[in-house]
Amino acid sequence: MIEESVKVALEYLNKQGLEGDVFGIRSRNVSYSIMNGEISDSTEYEDMGLGIRVLKDGRIGFGYCVPGKEERGVKKALELSKLSKKIGISLPGERDAVTVKTFDPKVQDALEEGIGADLAQKMIDAAYSVDNDIIPTRGEMSLGYGTKVVGNTKGVFMVQDATIIDGSIAATIPGDKTSLMAGEAGSSRKYDVNFEEIGLKAGDKVVSMRDKETIPSDNIPVVMSPESIGLLLYFGLIPSFNGENVRKGKSVYQGSMDDKVGAEYLSILDDPTADWGMGSFPFDDEGVVSSSTSFVSQGKLTNFIYDLKEAVNSDTESTGNGVRGSFKSPPQIGDRNIIIRGEDLQINNLMEGRVILVDGVMGAHTSNPASGDFSVVANPAWLVEDGEKKGRLDGLMVSGNLPESLHSMELADDHKKIFYAIGSAVLKMEVPSIKLNDVTISGK
Amino acid sequence: MVKELLESVVDKGAEYCDIRKEKWYRTILYLKDGVPETVVQGEEEGAMVRVLYGNGWGYVGTADLDILDRTIDRAFQMAKSSHKLRKQETGLADIDIKQEKVKMPMKDNFMDVSPEEKLEFLTDVEDWLKKDFVNSTDLRYRDLLVKKEIITSEGAYIEMEIPRLVTYMIITGKSDTVQMATQATGGTGGFELTKDAYDDVEIVLEMLKSLLEAKTPPSGKMPVVMDPHLTGVFSHEDFGHAAEGDLVASGNSCLKGKLGEQVASDIVTIKDDPTMNGYGSFPFDDEGTRSRNRVLVKDGLLNDFILDRENAWKLGMEPNGGARAEDFRVKPLVRMSNTIMEPGEMSFEELIEDIDKGIYAKSTSGGQVSPAQGTFQFNAQVAYLIENGEIVKPLRNVSFNGFTLETLQNIVGISDNTDTGIGHCGKGQSASVTDGGADVLISEVTVGGRE
Repeated sequence: MIEESVKVALEYLNKQGLEGDVFGIRSRNVSYSIMNGEISDSTEYEDMGLGIRVLKDGRIGFGYCVPGKEERGVKKALELSKLSKKIGISLPGERDAVTVKTFDPKVQDALEEGIGADLAQKMIDAAYSVDNDIIPTRGEMSLGYGTKVVGNTKGVFMVQDATIIDGSIAATIPGDKTSLMAGEAGSSRKYDVNFEEIGLKAGDKVVSMRDKETIPSDNIPVVMSPESIGLLLYFGLIPSFNGENVRKGKSVYQGSMDDKVGAEYLSILDDPTADWGMGSFPFDDEGVVSSSTSFVSQGKLTNFIYDLKEAVNSDTESTGNGVRGSFKSPPQIGDRNIIIRGEDLQINNLMEGRVILVDGVMGAHTSNPASGDFSVVANPAWLVEDGEKKGRLDGLMVSGNLPESLHSMELADDHKKIFYAIGSAVLKMEVPSIKLNDVTISGK
Repeated sequence: MVKELLESVVDKGAEYCDIRKEKWYRTILYLKDGVPETVVQGEEEGAMVRVLYGNGWGYVGTADLDILDRTIDRAFQMAKSSHKLRKQETGLADIDIKQEKVKMPMKDNFMDVSPEEKLEFLTDVEDWLKKDFVNSTDLRYRDLLVKKEIITSEGAYIEMEIPRLVTYMIITGKSDTVQMATQATGGTGGFELTKDAYDDVEIVLEMLKSLLEAKTPPSGKMPVVMDPHLTGVFSHEDFGHAAEGDLVASGNSCLKGKLGEQVASDIVTIKDDPTMNGYGSFPFDDEGTRSRNRVLVKDGLLNDFILDRENAWKLGMEPNGGARAEDFRVKPLVRMSNTIMEPGEMSFEELIEDIDKGIYAKSTSGGQVSPAQGTFQFNAQVAYLIENGEIVKPLRNVSFNGFTLETLQNIVGISDNTDTGIGHCGKGQSASVTDGGADVLISEVTVGGRE
């Protein structure tokens, strides 16, 4: 149905001799909420809509609508195009598609068969099984599938289905003054998430928080879990690889192409062609065929990301990074499937000596995206000596600068796929545990 | 017809059923460095159906209003399945069943203002922001009219129109590092709210100027004075989330079981009031409960929670209009509205005169909280070092954290001036909110810095 609707909108554009593109999406999602130790409710939502972009005399107008109201959407986009500046972007023509695996029928079957509740229950039971004091106070399990369509008046018409399955749970040990809480999450496009393991890990973590340690303010190395370093990098570093930020001086990497910006073993790339990547897809939201973009290769700055519009402004080509938050949003530059690679050290090597292990951060979104400065609360966090957890650390703040840290960070081999929404941002990454050697700790 | 469909679900054994139909009209404009980059208009509609069967809820949202009968039936089936899984009893506290139509006023209806005129407004503001220390400007305008109908199996029928408008100013400059200052203005109302943006131009310029001269802060424990905007965010993040009834009832709040107890210094009074003029105002919540002021803390004592009907039932309290949903795709959650710490009697000079070494923190670039553990983190947009009772120099990248109850007890001074700011609160869903208060002195907070 959504494919037909995109075709109808394209016909309206063609009939009027207009240039433009149409983005269509239809999705279905079922989720199960966990509250106070049990499944409290289930929610289902089916969404669909079209985003229509008209290019008229080099100006861009954007409208959105639901299927059935395509003509109105085209007219609105045309009307608004008069207000924009002439930029003259060039829509992509037909090109050889790439193949990227994003759809697993087992996930769709699981949704249709209604077995999501069983998977959520597995997480709950596993968390309960770790310790009698544990209550899995909050969590969610969700299954979803959908179809994305992008077509334009130059003949591009691409359609692909995708699936997603994820679960998260917070295990709590209630206390008189303050409760202990730790969480675990897992996400995949394939039906391969181990929900029992998620519950067990959350339980193990909260049990290991019972003993408390204190440390003074100092410069102790910090080992950050994939989730916590992923959040920090997403808000404090990745925006510096955005071509528009670079052009406008909002990136520390302006004028640094080919410079050494990190350790020689460090690579950072955006690869939406990786099979089953959380943000992988064979084309971007402007109909550009996907390809991998390397930001940092063996420590050297190699490239930035561009959408069609910024490619014109920066006199370059789109890297296939035109991303829409929903059908209601026009495309803008966005990362798609960030991958961080390094030395692939064993996690035990990172824990040698006296370090702080951080499994979650509060306030990553308050990092300065232009400078990479950050100051976050580590929660939960533990003092670790020679690989052994000595006790949890409360109220610990970790401050530093991410571009500086790239030169000395150490990377483990425990790569994890992360799909995590915070506000309007969605992290789609594959990242390992990372040791930061140059941060300041505000302790007790 | 909808009423009959809802009644038929109750006839089949459901305890309760409601439907929330919404129609959204949006205009979004981005002006980047004086160039109109994004101009968007659109409308959409859809509905969310809720069914309570025994102890289980089923929620189904759809953008297809032609299949409401199937949507309601699906929600009924899901509620029955949830009931089988849920051992804990639940219910809905009673409310006054209303049939009302309410339009929140717009003095200058933004639906009648052309996109050209809206763009002119942004261009005008951009002119005001042109200074030699500003490298880049990013201005964003959004207006949004939501028309809602809430129909319940108990006979309620609420029809309301809520207009909201917001303007963001984001400016960037460069000294030894790139710095950014942001300011949001707006509220619930019409195009008349754009006038407020001009008043805020000087504020955002002053913040950027200070950030460009600023040094990194010291770290460790020290006294902190928060300006009214940061006090608002503190009241929201540090306290307000812990006072949300769903978190209290499910054991996810440090305030559970503390009603009537002293939770803050006795000079602290915090309210959450959707009836006042603000960005988080509404006449009825998304369950059809009439909104009212909630005095959460009165003279340091925990006085109330923010409550929807289910969590009011669980806690044996009265619903107070706390249910809000981001849109028709999602179920209502317990959310804040306009959260304010009431002013005190001191002047700003009196607040800082006895501080040997501390920080004056202004505005915020965000924060986060763990209500269950009672911990919080938030950042000031810009701060100043206080030494020997005087403001000495600007600081950047100032972040705080602490324990909710401990920090509320450490409030030792509140000024007599007030101000508010607006923003969006995230709790899996976005909600428009106003936060505000006065200048507030906390005797000791952990500050994260690099020195």
